[in-house]
Amino acid sequence: MALEYLPIMAQNSASKAPRVLAKPSKFAWCVVSKPLIQSRVALLTSAALRLETQRPFVPREDLSYRRVPSDPAIEPLVIDHHSGIGTVPKQDPEIVFPRIALAGLLSRGLIGNLSPQHFSFMGGVRQHAKVEQELAPALGHELLDAQVDLALLVPY
Amino acid sequence: MIEALSIPTLVIGTAYDIMSSVVPPRAAFVDHPVGRTFGAPHDRERNVAILAKALTELPQFTQPGMIRDLHCNWASDGSRSWEEELRAEMRREH
Repeated sequence: MALEYLPIMAQNSASKAPRVLAKPSKFAWCVVSKPLIQSRVALLTSAALRLETQRPFVPREDLSYRRVPSDPAIEPLVIDHHSGIGTVPKQDPEIVFPRIALAGLLSRGLIGNLSPQHFSFMGGVRQHAKVEQELAPALGHELLDAQVDLALLVPY
Repeated sequence: MIEALSIPTLVIGTAYDIMSSVVPPRAAFVDHPVGRTFGAPHDRERNVAILAKALTELPQFTQPGMIRDLHCNWASDGSRSWEEELRAEMRREH
């Protein structure tokens, strides 16, 4: 049986305002119509991850995002997220942002192409309306501009 | 939001209870500690294996809101002792 995180989060955040999980106001779903081997794939992470040379995220309510090159040779990456599970992934961001692995799957011919950029933002912000009205549309248009066929989101 | 632009999404996550609460369009569950979705640090073989498993699962998502279990256990013997260690880590780092 899967570990339940909501009670742990509630217990650890007992001194703060209760966290509310938000669902989108409008649910959307589209069919995966393109074969994987023809698809251009992008990663999205809520780890507030960035290149070391990029502007840092500011915990906890930063609503900006960063374009992270999909080329794993462009590094190093750092994680700005304030989460209590941060120590281990900060040793190796690949375990929450599999940029090397995705490039490897391109080399093996499992996917068609990489988006030139992946995208990173701060998860766990409480301004849900702004996430839906500002951040998500901006990321959506970035994905359109990059002609992405499949977006992989790894929550942090 | 992104799916409304006709771009399919796949969430790959470790927190089943959170994913089932927010109902992403399609999600793959990895039974690993949070923050280690693709394995332990520097385990490149496992990183690739889990990502490939998630991607090859895509055709199985036939309805909106499905969560598919990738059957990836953190411990090779199926032990769940990592849960208590993670709880302690989350308390310590909070």
